[in-house]
Amino acid sequence: MNRKMAGIYRSERVEVLRAHQNADGGWGYFAGKRSWLEPTVYGLLALHEEMDTAHWQRGWNLVRSWQLPDGSWRPNQQVTEPHWSTALAVTLHCARRQYDAPFRRGVEWLLEQRGEESTTMSRFLGLFMENHIGHDRKFAGWPWLPGTTSWIEPTSHALVALKRAAPHVNLTGLRRRVALAEAMILQRRCADGGWNYGSRAALGIALPSYPETTALALLGLQSCADADLGQDLIRARELWQRCESRLGRAWLAVSLRSFLVEIPADERPIAKNDILATSLEALAAPNGGFLFLRPEARA
Amino acid sequence: MNVISRRRLPLAAAGALGSCGGAKQEQPAAFAGRSVVSVLKASSYDADLTRTILLGLAQAGLPDVRGKRVLLKPNLVEFDRATAINTHPRVVLAAYEALRFLGASVSIGEGPGHRRDTFGLTEEAGYWQQFRALDDYFVDLNRDDVRSVGPFLGRPEFYFSETLLAADLIVSLPKMKTHHWAGATLSMKNFFGAVPGAVYGWPKNLLHYHGIANSIVALNRRFRNTFAIVDGIVGMEGNGPIQGQPRPMGALVFGRDLIAVDATCCRLMGIEPSRVEYLQLAADLGAIPELQIDQRGENPAALRKNFDLLPQFAGLRLG
Repeated sequence: MNRKMAGIYRSERVEVLRAHQNADGGWGYFAGKRSWLEPTVYGLLALHEEMDTAHWQRGWNLVRSWQLPDGSWRPNQQVTEPHWSTALAVTLHCARRQYDAPFRRGVEWLLEQRGEESTTMSRFLGLFMENHIGHDRKFAGWPWLPGTTSWIEPTSHALVALKRAAPHVNLTGLRRRVALAEAMILQRRCADGGWNYGSRAALGIALPSYPETTALALLGLQSCADADLGQDLIRARELWQRCESRLGRAWLAVSLRSFLVEIPADERPIAKNDILATSLEALAAPNGGFLFLRPEARA
Repeated sequence: MNVISRRRLPLAAAGALGSCGGAKQEQPAAFAGRSVVSVLKASSYDADLTRTILLGLAQAGLPDVRGKRVLLKPNLVEFDRATAINTHPRVVLAAYEALRFLGASVSIGEGPGHRRDTFGLTEEAGYWQQFRALDDYFVDLNRDDVRSVGPFLGRPEFYFSETLLAADLIVSLPKMKTHHWAGATLSMKNFFGAVPGAVYGWPKNLLHYHGIANSIVALNRRFRNTFAIVDGIVGMEGNGPIQGQPRPMGALVFGRDLIAVDATCCRLMGIEPSRVEYLQLAADLGAIPELQIDQRGENPAALRKNFDLLPQFAGLRLG
């Protein structure tokens, strides 16, 4: 994609985001819908050059207002429970270089969470039970919902957040949790070289990799010294080339560009209604904000 | 007592453990009434399905839908050109046209269990080729606005899509399939798609923790304003709901009582419904025995085709 094309591609999407920002400063998953944390974080990251503006500040204030007393974030105004998108709020704080007490409490909350299968009690009980899927229970990832098991996507979001946060907090165990979660993702790599949403096989049958989970797993594995990701990136590029899903393709573009893999211009028209896909497409542009999802040392 | 089921265990733990298979419930007192189920032949997706569906709706006693908000809930899981995973778009289109003809305001909604891009999945599954401006009336139930319904599935607050909650009638439009954890996936399990992924994740692991059968029944106790149209024109046998093989059945199944509809579909697939765990748990909600079902249209016994079952479900085979 040449520089001019890239600029147009991104500016079209940024315009859509500006047009569909809700009065409370956030974005819904779809235009005209109520604000959620996930599209709001990616909307704000996509508009990262406008951090000093009033409309960006409104979005930021909304995100800050959704932090719960335990340090986690709620996903929107209606849901009052701790949510996996806490990792995204932490990443947003890093992008804004806001390393204050709410940021630190968010990181601490993340570090307290782990997939139910890797708690001490579960690992003990696991000694007496058949391990049908073959996951190593010491490799602790993150669940979608506290008290449930770990999956690729929430684990990847948490890794991105913690790797960004690491230089700005001095928390015992952070690096070990990162290493365990990286190992969890690597262990669940599918036979075809990418990632399914949780396991590499079901009932003994290999599962195929998916675009969005492959993209996110790779983002989570950035700067992982133990991993040779060359084949995975080839697989991710193959998925990108044939991916019909706008969201999957956008995630793959973010991920591939984070690894400095060249991909050609995406010439598909903008999907004005899908705010999350639009935000990710803007982030994935060569001059977009995908750098905010890279570990700081590499950004 | 917390029972750890061997079938349930791997899913609940995505790999690991199983202190979480969901408490087994006592079998409830059986439903004492009678229910109507219609089975109509439909040889292919190229047939005049709207006419067939109008007949099925009438035979099975669809309530008056004039001026009502009707949500069609197809089953969209994954797309694989080589097999038959999703409710065929022509069945959904025909149901859409039939209900509009009957005066309803119709929308379509789905919240796939593990694919994030619902609109991408509708595109892959061919929905956009059948519907003009699908996004005008299709709702992603995973990422819709949500509202609490209070305590549900052991949680003090539970959230559902506002579109779903606002519907006067929810029409479950599943594919007729075997299922590697539940035995069969039909109109009742289709309600897993009602749980919003944006709150509970992809997959909806919470439902596995509560127990798949328990969750199916809880969702169907929660949503009683329902009707079912099952796409059995081509079903799936073997390792469903994704990795099985297509199995032509040539039938559409209709009814207001989703338990009776699922029981009839089981008989069509050569499965004994009274041995399917989720139907056992729902026995107070609707009719399972043949004697309590007024069968309209075709005789299910005459259409029966024994779907291949995974070895662990061999005991479900209808005698």
